[in-house]
Amino acid sequence: GLRVSQQLHRLPQHPTAGIQRLFSSASAQEKPVVSGPSEDKLHLTESCVKRLGEIMGKGEYLRIHVEGGGCSGFQYKFSVVSDRSEDDRVFEQGGVGVIVDQDSLEFVKGATLDFGQELIRSSFQVLKNPQADHGCSCGSSFSVKL
Amino acid sequence: VSKRKILATRAALTLTPSAVSKIRVLLQDKPEYIGLKVGVRTRGCNGLTYTLDYTKDRDKSDEEVLQDGVRVFIEKKAQLTLLGTEMDFVESKLSSEFVFNNPNIKGTCGCGESFNI
Repeated sequence: GLRVSQQLHRLPQHPTAGIQRLFSSASAQEKPVVSGPSEDKLHLTESCVKRLGEIMGKGEYLRIHVEGGGCSGFQYKFSVVSDRSEDDRVFEQGGVGVIVDQDSLEFVKGATLDFGQELIRSSFQVLKNPQADHGCSCGSSFSVKL
Repeated sequence: VSKRKILATRAALTLTPSAVSKIRVLLQDKPEYIGLKVGVRTRGCNGLTYTLDYTKDRDKSDEEVLQDGVRVFIEKKAQLTLLGTEMDFVESKLSSEFVFNNPNIKGTCGCGESFNI
């Protein structure tokens, strides 16, 4: 349901990109699409790319998963994975990769992933999420714009 | 106003070994700072959040905690909320942070950054 309507929305705006996507998902299911239309991109900051370069081994990716929870309804979960499925989108930059599954991408597309460094805490954070209404102070949880 | 001073019978804040060694590393090449200062701010979904900064001087009302050679100063506003708290440093591949394990806390946020008492 979600994916179909999403592609219908996308087709009039990006006819070629939409067709390529349909084509690639039909012919090469196991190979995730690396880059797609700019509006469902996840942006990575320089400090995020730098940090991932330091901590990730060969073949390892950072996975962002959105699930229900936290004080604002939804929260981001980060994990290190080395496998990806056909449902995943991979965002690569500077030799590192971030994986987001299609369902989670609906909640983070257009957002920026940053590695924030403060004295009290250094962690990955999702910033400027166009889907998020207002979040928790720490940014780990958010509510969705209706 | 009486000038009677109430003496604490135990340290307001205890540091775990990992917190001590992290603070030591942080201050190692910064001789201009005498330690770290813990404060509290109104922020977050649960009312309060801790702040942590380098400090060059000790404020008169600060509580000083000296443990294993490192100094942590607690701002007046944060003293009550921190009483009996353990300051820990937790490090994983994806994040590293100082956490305050506070026995007085009633509720915390999902991430643990904000709390109420």
